[in-house]
Amino acid sequence: MKRLVTFTVNGEMQKVTVEPYRSLLDVLRNEVGLTGTKKGCDVGDCSACTVILNGQPVNSCLVLGVEADGMVIETIEGLAQKMEDGYALHPLQKNFLKYGAAQCGFCTPGMIMAAKALLDGNPHPTEAEVRFAIAGNICRCTGFAKIVEAILRTNVDG
Amino acid sequence: MHKTYAVVGSSPTKIDGIEKVTGSATYGADYNWPGTLYGRIKRSPYAHAQVVSIDTTKALVLDGVNAVLTFKDVPRAKHAGLPAPRAGSLAVDQNVLTDKARFVGDGIAAVAAVSEEIAEVALDLIEIEYELLPLVLDITEATKPGAPHIHGTEKNEVMPPVVVERGDVAAEFAKADHIVEGTYTTGRPIHCYMEPNVCVCKFDQNGKLTIWSSTQTPFSVRQSISEVLSIPLHKIQVIVEHMGGGFGAKQDLYQHEYVCVLLARKTGRPVKMEYSRKETFLATRTRHPVTVRLKHGLKKDGTLTAREGTYISDSGGYGSHGPGVTAVGTINLTSLYQCSENWKLEGRSVYTNAPVAGAYRGFGAVQGFFALDVQMDEMAEVVGMDPVAFRLKNAVGEGDPSPSGHPLHGYSLAKCLQRGAEEMNWAAKWQQPEVKSGFVRTGLGVGTEMHSSGAYPDIKEISGAILKMNEDGSVNLLTGVADLGTGALTAMAQIAAEELGIYFEDIIVIAGDTDVAPYDIGAYASRTTHIGGKAVQKAATKLKQKLLTLAAERLETPISDLDIHNGKIIEQGKPALSVQDLVKGDGGTPASAIISEVTHESKVAYSFAAHFAEVEVDTETGQIEVKQVVAVHEVGKIINQKGVEGQIEGGIQQGLGHSITEDLILDPETGQPLNPSFVDYKMPLSMDMPSIKTIILEEEPDPGGPFGAKGVGEDPIIAIGPAIANAVSNAIGVRIRDLPITPERVLEAMEEKRLADL
Repeated sequence: MKRLVTFTVNGEMQKVTVEPYRSLLDVLRNEVGLTGTKKGCDVGDCSACTVILNGQPVNSCLVLGVEADGMVIETIEGLAQKMEDGYALHPLQKNFLKYGAAQCGFCTPGMIMAAKALLDGNPHPTEAEVRFAIAGNICRCTGFAKIVEAILRTNVDG
Repeated sequence: MHKTYAVVGSSPTKIDGIEKVTGSATYGADYNWPGTLYGRIKRSPYAHAQVVSIDTTKALVLDGVNAVLTFKDVPRAKHAGLPAPRAGSLAVDQNVLTDKARFVGDGIAAVAAVSEEIAEVALDLIEIEYELLPLVLDITEATKPGAPHIHGTEKNEVMPPVVVERGDVAAEFAKADHIVEGTYTTGRPIHCYMEPNVCVCKFDQNGKLTIWSSTQTPFSVRQSISEVLSIPLHKIQVIVEHMGGGFGAKQDLYQHEYVCVLLARKTGRPVKMEYSRKETFLATRTRHPVTVRLKHGLKKDGTLTAREGTYISDSGGYGSHGPGVTAVGTINLTSLYQCSENWKLEGRSVYTNAPVAGAYRGFGAVQGFFALDVQMDEMAEVVGMDPVAFRLKNAVGEGDPSPSGHPLHGYSLAKCLQRGAEEMNWAAKWQQPEVKSGFVRTGLGVGTEMHSSGAYPDIKEISGAILKMNEDGSVNLLTGVADLGTGALTAMAQIAAEELGIYFEDIIVIAGDTDVAPYDIGAYASRTTHIGGKAVQKAATKLKQKLLTLAAERLETPISDLDIHNGKIIEQGKPALSVQDLVKGDGGTPASAIISEVTHESKVAYSFAAHFAEVEVDTETGQIEVKQVVAVHEVGKIINQKGVEGQIEGGIQQGLGHSITEDLILDPETGQPLNPSFVDYKMPLSMDMPSIKTIILEEEPDPGGPFGAKGVGEDPIIAIGPAIANAVSNAIGVRIRDLPITPERVLEAMEEKRLADL
């Protein structure tokens, strides 16, 4: 029996009706229509579905849609600032482009959100801290070298 | 002489980069059509079983179920998962849906329903009675008389053996100063691309079928669907906007692609079929586990005089690329290190009831060169030579035969070895294992490889390119090349821009649509830059000629005085006219008439690599940590610097996993995979990667490639394995011959040595 759920996604309020067994990942991708967050395994093993929920990075496949009622959600779609003609990319997005950190791109939204969650709390992490923050994000293309470089060089103050 | 390039060799932002970092890139599962149904496949829980009866009545009447198919409702002709021209390197033994399961996960039936949940419930309602058949999981057991028949082939072999012979191996062995032999085995790693296989199918009112598939080979999808399901080719359009990794597995069609089309046709609705992550472990492809027996004869001075070997691959329940992988793995052993042109090699592929093995980055070379490179270390030990010096003595170079039979050019392998040894400070750092002590021991090892840029001569290599001038001086580049994330499309744009003399940003790449793109055989065999890129370069040369001809008329100047640079026509070294002004069409030929097209057929070129690995082995726990890798690659010409580095770094990640932790483990009684999930199948992640120093050499540009470029996609995954194995052997003083090098294997090896030394 569907339930009404209200939450904020990327600054906008969303009201959707969902079955109680639906994951937040499925709700974001289907009911809210934001397909940027990816489903890599659906069981919490790969972190491709990382979003920021009330300030914490979570695997959205492990959160029920109904659990997120009343919460604040940030997804990859909310990072770039919409301008009149195009977008102003978030520094993390700029650096992922600059340092070649995205190959197939499937892990990229989750990876960037995990990195954002790190930088939100720790703007100048060490390499070890970066690797730890993305330890659960599986990437099978890049070997992580350029991902780590892109995150390390992102100075959110500058 | 050093040529300066405008955009080739640098790292402009990937043309599809912004979509990927903003989440707006559309992958197969992101397509949502109104009325879409969800398809799921009912899979056998048994590794070898005959379906005795199947009853779909309950599933059919479930609310929300639109269609149910069983093996009785689908075409019965066997296919290879790829279209006919590829059949030479594939086995034609697969079923759209089967009545005989040959591995755990083989698809028997399928449903389409209004939601994935209802589809799952419907699968459970399909009642199947199985007769369990004896199963076999060992390649030696499978070839014995009395072994269970998997496909009814003789000795359960997938194809007749591959045999290559030259010279007189027996005579050389008889007079050799030393004989070294050994048996080497590799495990069963799996691709684990981040995007699970997915397919969306939709028929329109004209009966035209559009397939959005996560595929490396859109033209193969079109052709195979046409052949197997008897749909006219021109009624099928395959679209790939973005796909999330493939590494070889996604060059094949799986049951879900054929079933998806059939369900869409039967229901008249769009159908989406997404593999679960578990299904990607069970029912896609693995790498072939291979047992290599290798034997060399050599002189006291270290010259190899003869090589004999057998290469036997475990194909799993179906043949797939078994013939091709086995042929490549076997024939590769005629090269890399010379053996005085005396060789006797035999390759076989055997069916078992394991998950199906197929194409995986490295395609047989990973296993064969692992064996060769480890035995090179063993032989160096026997003659008392340093492993690098021994390799330099026997490394193939100018004039030596390559695996394709063509003579090689230059001395790339030697240069990679020398450069890497220098960077790693090998001469000073490498030590005999005997001097090592302590619980944690350091080891240094080297691994090498060579790989073709393209699959010639096994496959006819062909790529096309079309360049279409726009009125504003920009160019549409239509290419059949597929980009799995490698950055291939960006490289194509760089090549076109460089050759034409216009800005990289003014090249608009159109790809991933079989209705529009020129035919291309697909992204595999490290071919896209070398072959797809050459087609682009040739098309650009033609287009440039047309532009210069037009400019010569307009400027009333001989064409020999003209060139194009930065989007401007240059007359005797000075900008005379912008390309846009030339083509914009007032008073001259309209821009839209300026088109060039090229179909390019290729021979083959070889890239080389040498990897140097430093490892630490904990002799109490058996755990291995790879601390540092120096990776030297010779690629002819870099088109995109970060693209090449990315392939090397990513290939090392996968190869590292295959060498120490990755293995799909099967229950020996039932054939059931025991670790079909990311949590139990251990891949190296951010915390596990060594520091990697990549050195890219451009010593031997190949004229068959764009600006001399050769491939690089597969090389890194091949060289890293023996580098790590040899490093571990160097650390603990025991020869490692089997992958993956698990802690158990390290401890067993050390225990065997301890007992032998008593």
